[in-house]
Amino acid sequence: MSSDLYREQLLDHYHNPENFGVLPDADVDVEMDNPTCGDVVHMTARLDAEGRITAVMFEGQGCVVSMASASMFTEMAVGKTPEEVAAMGLADIEAMMGGVRLSMGRVKCATLPLNALKLGLKEAGKL
Amino acid sequence: MALDVEAIRREFPIFERKIHGKRLVFLDSAASSQKPRAVIAAMTRVYTHSYANVHRGLYALAEEATEAYEGARVKLARFINAPDPAEVIYVRNATEGLNLVAYSWGIEHIHAGDRIVITEMEHHANLVPWQQLALRQGAELAYVPVTNDGRLDLAALPPLLADGRTKLVACSVMSNVLGTLPPVTQVAELAHAAGALVVMDAAQAAPHQPVDVQALGPDFLAISGHKLCGPGMGILWGRGELLDAMPPFLYGGDMIRTVKRYQSKWNDLPHKFEAGTPPIAEAVGLGAAVDFLGAIGMEAIHAHEQELLAYALPRLAEVPGIHILGPGLGERGGVVSFWLEAAHPHDIAALLDEDGICIRAGHHCAQPLHERFGIPASARASFYLYNDKEDVDALVAGLHRVVKILGR
Ligand SMILES: Cc1ncc(COP(=O)(O)O)c(C=O)c1O
Repeated sequence: MSSDLYREQLLDHYHNPENFGVLPDADVDVEMDNPTCGDVVHMTARLDAEGRITAVMFEGQGCVVSMASASMFTEMAVGKTPEEVAAMGLADIEAMMGGVRLSMGRVKCATLPLNALKLGLKEAGKL
Repeated sequence: MALDVEAIRREFPIFERKIHGKRLVFLDSAASSQKPRAVIAAMTRVYTHSYANVHRGLYALAEEATEAYEGARVKLARFINAPDPAEVIYVRNATEGLNLVAYSWGIEHIHAGDRIVITEMEHHANLVPWQQLALRQGAELAYVPVTNDGRLDLAALPPLLADGRTKLVACSVMSNVLGTLPPVTQVAELAHAAGALVVMDAAQAAPHQPVDVQALGPDFLAISGHKLCGPGMGILWGRGELLDAMPPFLYGGDMIRTVKRYQSKWNDLPHKFEAGTPPIAEAVGLGAAVDFLGAIGMEAIHAHEQELLAYALPRLAEVPGIHILGPGLGERGGVVSFWLEAAHPHDIAALLDEDGICIRAGHHCAQPLHERFGIPASARASFYLYNDKEDVDALVAGLHRVVKILGR
């Protein structure tokens, strides 16, 4: 397989996502979609007393890029403060995904989980 | 094949290039088509030989430019069998043509309590202008449904016309997603018998089959020039007496006869609707495009695409987990939208791109239609005169590869 984007690492996350589901007793509960392509993620997260993220789960539907990003992001976000999440951007997501360079059309897919969590933190008054 | 695709491809310089080192397999002409040398040359000639603003200068160059610009209008009128070239209005694209009707005709003629009827298969360009017009005027918007096999449910139209409240019916001549060729002539007959006007969106149909405004029977018809081998512009055709009675859409230079401090008088058709400096070289290029297509023959192009479709549909059906949208052969044009159980449309398009194959993925500006079929998005391959069976083979092989990579 010649594909750069469709490497085993991303496909593994796509086929066997980490933390797939809904977190009970979540502090953050948010859904976000990408209407142009139909990607949708539902993210739930819990924070500890100091305000650090202790657990994140996701469910949703979408392309390899958005789903692999969501799966990886549920692991990456743990231990971060809302401010640290708010400061993250595309470069962090690309690095998280093994250093891929995303084409313009896929940026929205890859950053959907990050943007969803940012929105959820804001809505929950954590940001 | 009725068409000599090899020879046709040589007329399109873009096929000389490679994509990721592979042969370019362009299957996204429904979004916008590639351009033949004749069109590029016609536009280059305007810029290198006869460019000046039109309708103004009293010098030879300006007269030449005006002649070329107006000459293209005559060609376009012939292309759609319009009785009078003055009924052919140059616009930015089909979208602007449809908005022109919604704003100029719609605001004067659609009132509270009236009904506008469209169909479930409309592109947003032939949907949102009517939706917003209805909201603004307090009118009702009603949809003629699409059947499960992607045909227009024509039986649902007469009840929507029965009470005499329907003032306008807007319908696509060919769906950009399903490929469906709805019975638009019948739609027009029914609508007219009920006293409603008819707007036809021929953005998808005009590049691929003969479009005759006198035979189809619309009151307005919009075309996208960039989808029929031309540059980025479109045309709106309307019945002369309707256009004559309509207020201008945009105000400014060229559309005016006289301007006084506190009032103005409008220019004649078509200039009344062409405010400001128009797309001069583009219009000439569009004229060259219909010359190019006309020389090959719209019937021949249609037959070629039907042949490709007949070849493609059974082969595509063999791809594991594929769901093809739209009706069967004989009721559709050369657009095939589908979805795979194994892969999101984005991933299909991205993986095919690695093989040099260009298709579209998304909702193709037809969100309500995708909702109707319960899917957020689809993948779409569309054929044109420069495609052949080899392109279909590449697509089918590419889809098998997608399923192999993403299926489990
Ligand atoms: C059926 C249909 N109507 C309208 C349009 C809009 O055309 P344009 O982009 O030229 O305004 C398109 C093309 O995208 C189309 O497929």
